[in-house]
Amino acid sequence: MNDQAGNETTDRRPAPRRHTLLWISLAALGVSICVLRVAAAAQTGDASAAEAARSLWQTVGIWVAALMTLGIFSFLFKDNPLYKVCESILIGVSAAYWMVYAFWSTLVPQLFAKLSPTLVREHVMPSLAISATPTQDFLLSLVPLVLGGMLLWRLAPKGQWISVWPIAMIIGVTAGLRITSALESDFLAQIAATMKPLVAFTSSVDAAGVEIRSFDFWGSVSGVVGVVGVLSVLTYFLFSVEHKGAVGKTARLGIWFLMITFGGAFGLTVMGRITLLAQRFEFLFREWLGIA
Amino acid sequence: MTNEAQTTKARGFIGVLTRLDRRWIFLAMGLSIAVPILLKLRFPEYPGPMAKATFNAIEAVPEGSTILISFDYDPASAAELQPMASALVHHCASRRLKMVFTALWPLGKQQADRTIETVLKPFHPEYKEGVDYVQLGFQAGNEGVIKLLATNLPKQYPNDASGEAIENLPLLEGVEDLGAFKLIASVSAGYPGAKEWVLYGNGAMPDAFSVVAGSTGVQVGQLLPYYPQQLEGILVAVKGAAEYETLVEEKYPAPDSTVIGQGRVRMGPQLVAHLLMIGLIILGNVAMIAGRPRGGAR
Repeated sequence: MNDQAGNETTDRRPAPRRHTLLWISLAALGVSICVLRVAAAAQTGDASAAEAARSLWQTVGIWVAALMTLGIFSFLFKDNPLYKVCESILIGVSAAYWMVYAFWSTLVPQLFAKLSPTLVREHVMPSLAISATPTQDFLLSLVPLVLGGMLLWRLAPKGQWISVWPIAMIIGVTAGLRITSALESDFLAQIAATMKPLVAFTSSVDAAGVEIRSFDFWGSVSGVVGVVGVLSVLTYFLFSVEHKGAVGKTARLGIWFLMITFGGAFGLTVMGRITLLAQRFEFLFREWLGIA
Repeated sequence: MTNEAQTTKARGFIGVLTRLDRRWIFLAMGLSIAVPILLKLRFPEYPGPMAKATFNAIEAVPEGSTILISFDYDPASAAELQPMASALVHHCASRRLKMVFTALWPLGKQQADRTIETVLKPFHPEYKEGVDYVQLGFQAGNEGVIKLLATNLPKQYPNDASGEAIENLPLLEGVEDLGAFKLIASVSAGYPGAKEWVLYGNGAMPDAFSVVAGSTGVQVGQLLPYYPQQLEGILVAVKGAAEYETLVEEKYPAPDSTVIGQGRVRMGPQLVAHLLMIGLIILGNVAMIAGRPRGGAR
């Protein structure tokens, strides 16, 4: 083929892109493995048991889950439409699931069942317990009903201030619930736990029943590190005193403790993420491909 | 080879490192996890003090006592937490403890069901629902659920998850509040979870029961301050699960090690992936230091 200038030209159709070929190859590989697996099971007559027990819908579910997993993984190579589809499905399904679950686990048993127990028992929850105080339940459930309505007023074009009242109540109740337990468990108990002996001893009883006390080196190290760590980190957050001299050095030590803590937290997070990836691979290899 | 040639070669290597497409790192990380799974790599686990403390706390509960296990996670965290939940239920059933299952997370109930189906029923068929274990399921209300459980359990859970009234369940006969349990175990992925059990359960009844927790790696930083005073034991992420599985397997071998052994299986990929990460961090730092202009601004 020649152009007007007489130069040789090639076909102008776009060549298939590399990553498209890659995904087609991977999909073909996956399908081939599955076909081989089924063929091998059929040949050996071992298709019963696990293979036969696996229903069609289970198989479809495994394939959908596997393809969705690969679709999400595909983002690591490059942003692509398959990833976008998988991401949108995940978000949509999650939102819908949570909405339905909240309706059936909260609104129906906690509100509708108290407003109209007979109706709910007849049509929705036959196992709903019969309350000894239905009138009291009905009256009390009007409170969350009204407050819920006020909260939804936020979506109305006018009078959005009405939604502030239930929010205020949520904040007040939450603070009330938490303040005493936080004081006891997060404040007083933590202070008590910090008061460790700097020189620790362990005690044991010998054959004659005599108590023997011995120096606990690592217990002492733990006590010293704990106390020094708490004091130095608290000093770092002491902003009303300029961080100079002894205060500055202690605050500097506090930064070291904080950095080590952040490093430990990051390491634990990495471990969690690796576990999630390992579990996905386990699923792909075992459930989908059956090769591990 | 002359010094100049060596420098040129080093620069070439550093140049490759600094220009390396990050997708090669993704591929290396993928392989570092996939290959150990395919080769079924397992390494010995040496239980640490927190796993031992959790094991000992359960061992200290008198045989036949009732304990509460709260499944405060969902499938998103199951990779880390299901191994420890399975080992925990097997351990408690092996000690003939009676178990009450609850969930502060909506999908925790399904995780508890799964554990009952895969661990309790096949390994401990003698356990009867309502007599030896009760599945109470999920209740909305976060820490409010624990608050009410601490004062009036039948009011919070008038029925079990199957709809049976709790007065008809022999295991919960006479149970009024959390004080009836000798131990509370929360397998927890975040809020609400183990922290809330410490604050509102242990806080309300400090001497009534022990609390132990299994936690994701992300969340455990919030729980460590409570150990060992308010939390007797913590299982830290999949490493804690693997250590705990080792302790449980030593004393109470399970008929199927693929169920009580998931944590140890997942530690193989952990080791290889961590070695890769350490190597990459060292290489990255070498490349950064070698790439600095000599005598220039830093």
